[in-house]
Amino acid sequence: MSSFMKRISRRAIVQALIALPALSLFRNQPAVVDPDEIIEVNGWILRRSDLA
Amino acid sequence: MIFDSYEAYKQAGFKPKACILGSGPAGTTIARKLGAAGIPVVVLEAGSREFSDESQDFYRGTTVGDYYFDLDITRLRFMGGSSNHWAGWCRVLDRQDFEPKAWAPDTGWPISRADIEPFLAEVRDILELPAFRPDVQVSDDIRWVQLIKSPAVRFAEKFADELDKSGNIAVVLNTYATELMGDGKRVTGAKLWSNGQDAGIFTADYFVTCTGGLENSRLLLWSNQRSNGGVVPNATALGRYWMEHPTFEGGNAILANYSEFQVDASNEAFFSPTPAAMERLQILNFGIRVIESPYPNVKRLIADLACTAPNMAEWMSAQLDQRLHCAAQLYVAWEQAPLASNQIELSRTDVDHAGVPRIELHWKKSPLERRTLLEGLKLFGATLAQKNLGRVRIDEWISNGGDYPNNEETAGHHHMGGTRMGTDVLKSVVDANCKVHGMDNLYVGGSSVFCTSGQCNPTTTITALACRLGEHLGKVIAV
Repeated sequence: MSSFMKRISRRAIVQALIALPALSLFRNQPAVVDPDEIIEVNGWILRRSDLA
Repeated sequence: MIFDSYEAYKQAGFKPKACILGSGPAGTTIARKLGAAGIPVVVLEAGSREFSDESQDFYRGTTVGDYYFDLDITRLRFMGGSSNHWAGWCRVLDRQDFEPKAWAPDTGWPISRADIEPFLAEVRDILELPAFRPDVQVSDDIRWVQLIKSPAVRFAEKFADELDKSGNIAVVLNTYATELMGDGKRVTGAKLWSNGQDAGIFTADYFVTCTGGLENSRLLLWSNQRSNGGVVPNATALGRYWMEHPTFEGGNAILANYSEFQVDASNEAFFSPTPAAMERLQILNFGIRVIESPYPNVKRLIADLACTAPNMAEWMSAQLDQRLHCAAQLYVAWEQAPLASNQIELSRTDVDHAGVPRIELHWKKSPLERRTLLEGLKLFGATLAQKNLGRVRIDEWISNGGDYPNNEETAGHHHMGGTRMGTDVLKSVVDANCKVHGMDNLYVGGSSVFCTSGQCNPTTTITALACRLGEHLGKVIAV
């Protein structure tokens, strides 16, 4: 066992494991796409939802 | 009374208080107002009752800059003037057209729309118009606007009998002033040309030039040159700030339901920007004309759209089964930025048969107008998409900054500016009453006094301003 693991308690390890799912909150979120956003494609003025 | 020559007129012994040059919508309207007020007035009309090549030849000239129409076909030189070939489209300039715009230099009039509104009932009677309808806001950016397709009143046809019977109005055909003479305070006389020859000098207490949006500048430039500044003492702006309504096809639209567009009897609808959108985008006024396209165009457009937006194309295809009226061409006409460099000059090399220099017109469209065209179509497209009324495709040359095509309408044959109205003598020629700055007895009627062009056809506003000037002049002369 490493000296690091010897210094932390089992309680702290369990708390860290419980908190792990929350880390996903800090990941880069994919941009929310607004289907009503007005965009210009090939000269057409469209709503984003018009695109396949 | 109508005379075919100045000689015949002289024999009648008529004693006018005012002389109006030109019998188009402005000249005829002012004459009728003065005649109705009991003021004797003579109208000098350069042409005869009918079109002739000989008369039109006086209008030849050249254009420097952007492509423009030949100057002898873009206006008419006979009784009734250019009302003889106008299309009859009617709308008054918008309220905001009269207001200064911080993003467009030299905009703003010394009068507001409220100053001509009292004359609109009279204008409706003259031009045979139905009631004016208020704009309808379609979105925050776009408003539906009424453009009346009137019977296109030919002023000579409509008013010839009335003028002939009038005891206060004398119309002299085949006669015009080659130049006005002045001493820097007053016009002292006019050199006349009648039936192809010098007809001597004519005097009247008041002169009103209503010879058209090109010819007013030409006459005053030449007169001023000959009189060493005695006709337009403050001539810095004379001939300058000339404007048109550039007009081009801007793209297409697929519309979900054409009947939602308040189309007129010709199946056309017109749209303009809201004042807020103009200010936000810092663009000028414009008018988009939506014209229904034949059915084959719909299929071609949807095939094009399918490559870009399959969902939309599929939905539109479904609509096609129920309703075929859903493709349109978009034409855009726009307000031109008033630029001093767009100007009427006198040719240094070419003169007409009477020895008056012909016009050299300097005319170019500006970058602000180019941005107005593109942003205007985008605004209209965004409104249709947001409201799910349809989708717009902007022509490639506009999106990509290409050259203006030279095979399209080009402009509206609307000649504005050159003797613009204002308070600054360095940037205007006439005051708010259409009186030439510094002159006691010289007035200008017609679209040459326009400070800005707005986006709509000018004849309605010309007629309203003429009613206003006629009423004002009647009071001045009666004193």
